[in-house]
Amino acid sequence: MRLLDAELVETREILPRQWLQRYRAPWLAAGARAGQFVHVRTPDYSGLVLRRPFSINTVDRVASEITLHFRTAGKGTELLAHARPGDTVPMLGPLGRPFEVDPRTHHVLLIAGGLGIAGLRALIDESLAAGRQVTVLFGAASAGDVYPSSLLPDEVEYVVATEDGSLGQAGLVTDLVPAYEAWADQAFACGPRPMLAALAALARGRQARMGVARLGRKRGGGKPVPLGSPQARRRSWLQVSLEQHMGCAVGACLGCVVWGIEGPVRVCREGPVFAAEEIAWEESV
Amino acid sequence: MKRKRSVVTSSPRVRDPYLGPLRLGLRRPRTRPQAAASGSPAASSGWPGAVSGESGLPAASEADARTGGRAVPAARPEIVDLSVDLAPRRPGRLVLQNPVMVASGTFGYGIEYGEVVDVERLGAICCKGTTLKPRLGNPPPRVTETPAGMLNSIGLQNPGVDAVIERYAPLWAGWQVPVIVNVAGESIDDYAGVVRKLDGVPGVAGIELNISCPNVGRGGLQFAVDRDAAAAVTAAVREATDLPLLVKLSPNVTDIRPIAQAIEAAGADALTAINTLSGIAIDRRTRKPLLGNVYGGLSGPAIRPVALRIVYEVAQAVDIPVVAIGGVSSLEDALDYFAAGAVAVQVGTAIFADPEVPLRIVDELRAYCAERGLASHLPLVGTALPARPNRPSSKGVEYRP
Repeated sequence: MRLLDAELVETREILPRQWLQRYRAPWLAAGARAGQFVHVRTPDYSGLVLRRPFSINTVDRVASEITLHFRTAGKGTELLAHARPGDTVPMLGPLGRPFEVDPRTHHVLLIAGGLGIAGLRALIDESLAAGRQVTVLFGAASAGDVYPSSLLPDEVEYVVATEDGSLGQAGLVTDLVPAYEAWADQAFACGPRPMLAALAALARGRQARMGVARLGRKRGGGKPVPLGSPQARRRSWLQVSLEQHMGCAVGACLGCVVWGIEGPVRVCREGPVFAAEEIAWEESV
Repeated sequence: MKRKRSVVTSSPRVRDPYLGPLRLGLRRPRTRPQAAASGSPAASSGWPGAVSGESGLPAASEADARTGGRAVPAARPEIVDLSVDLAPRRPGRLVLQNPVMVASGTFGYGIEYGEVVDVERLGAICCKGTTLKPRLGNPPPRVTETPAGMLNSIGLQNPGVDAVIERYAPLWAGWQVPVIVNVAGESIDDYAGVVRKLDGVPGVAGIELNISCPNVGRGGLQFAVDRDAAAAVTAAVREATDLPLLVKLSPNVTDIRPIAQAIEAAGADALTAINTLSGIAIDRRTRKPLLGNVYGGLSGPAIRPVALRIVYEVAQAVDIPVVAIGGVSSLEDALDYFAAGAVAVQVGTAIFADPEVPLRIVDELRAYCAERGLASHLPLVGTALPARPNRPSSKGVEYRP
């Protein structure tokens, strides 16, 4: 974690109101892992008192660059979208805990709902670099919101579902998952809460059916690991990246909690990545 | 002038060889403030203003006026003594090396920001509100941004006083920076119980009573809005401990002054003003309350004028030091509060945007004082207050149309 000034290198609108910005930030590029985020200060210092958390979309260690992918949803993101190459943007990061991929996982299933792809994008690169096979299931309302396949590596299998059927399969992205459930060694998801809750229910069902076949059984399988530890998450079939209104992003203000099954957990510190079974999904938020 | 005299630096005023004939009464750098809490600060200074018997304050403003505030050549910033005693009734017990503290709830237990902020350079740390039993807090979402501010409804999530003593106090004991434990509760017994446990624990430098949290159903605010209840809880805590005791006032009251006076009379060492203003936000998508708790507390620059007004009123009503809090995000904001009568400020919401704000204010304040030839920031305190002590009335109408 460090306070730093990132220099905007390139900015473009890849989808309506969705921006992809490339920043030169050596410290972030060197240390960030898939799933982590940065807390970005908006250019208006007087009226906007909070930083904005963004997933680190991609990391280029060679060029010392990272990219952020966001949607303009208010004043802060609006101002950020208007930043020009050469501008410096104060950032705090990398923050949070990354995705935990089991070393024995070969088949990685990523499930993204809309902008949720921003939370998973870095994991695609990391998994491919580790020699894993990656399938991305992407869900959006209509074809206009579908993440362009040109921004994905060629090795990825990219499956799209749109709610209005304008592209790919008609329906929700969660409907695509059962076809890949048996193939996937581990699944990672990011998107709206109802989607994640549905996936968590699916993952519970999968575990009930497959039981002993799940990963982690062989090595130290009987030994209990504390909930939320990296080991426990590595054994979990489904990991989710959560969003929440955030204050400090370092764990001090307790503003970004969600209910876990053992009480409140901080999205900024224990998360933003959680094993699906850590979260109390029946709670409304 | 009696009011001002209660605010003294507890540091030796030695002649600085570098200042020669100016004899500004600056202390030698790197002297631990606690080392010399005794003795008359003015006596040894030989500073014409200081001999008049008032300690620092009138003398400096006199000097300021005499020289137009600028004619005094700049001193080196490192010899400006920013230390301030928040508990003059307990000399030396809570002497801050500078008047910039971090506010409760925005800085966790002092360790969360450790990687990016040098916490040892802060004036003091107020830790997260601590209760007798662990609390889970309010349902999420708990924070949201509002115009020039934010609403929070954390609901006093904390691991309980026992866990705080076990996990964090040993760390604090090794720090130079005093840690003031913010204490909350639902009943007077709760408050006294927490404080009794904290009494004598190494690493706990003081208590800040949170009688004004707007985000918990029972307790909290009810003590802050009622004069007798506020006095009762303060007295109970005073009885339970000898630790320096700050009481945090709520702005959600009609007239703050009788409450402040009652708390002072009940034995508080200092007052903190203000806690958050109660508010709500609506989710524009669902048209329902946005926060899980419906109600939240407003903080940030948006509340600064309200906080300034309350500090201004409280500073005139009581003789104990007042610590200002409410939207401090720059040196100018801190100077405003000093002018309104606060001896120290707490930085809260601004930390979220920039964790370096508190230390930047310290550095800038030091440079500001040095530039004006001030030995300390205390001459800046209370300059906006009426010349004659304006004893508070219960009318409370002069500032409201």
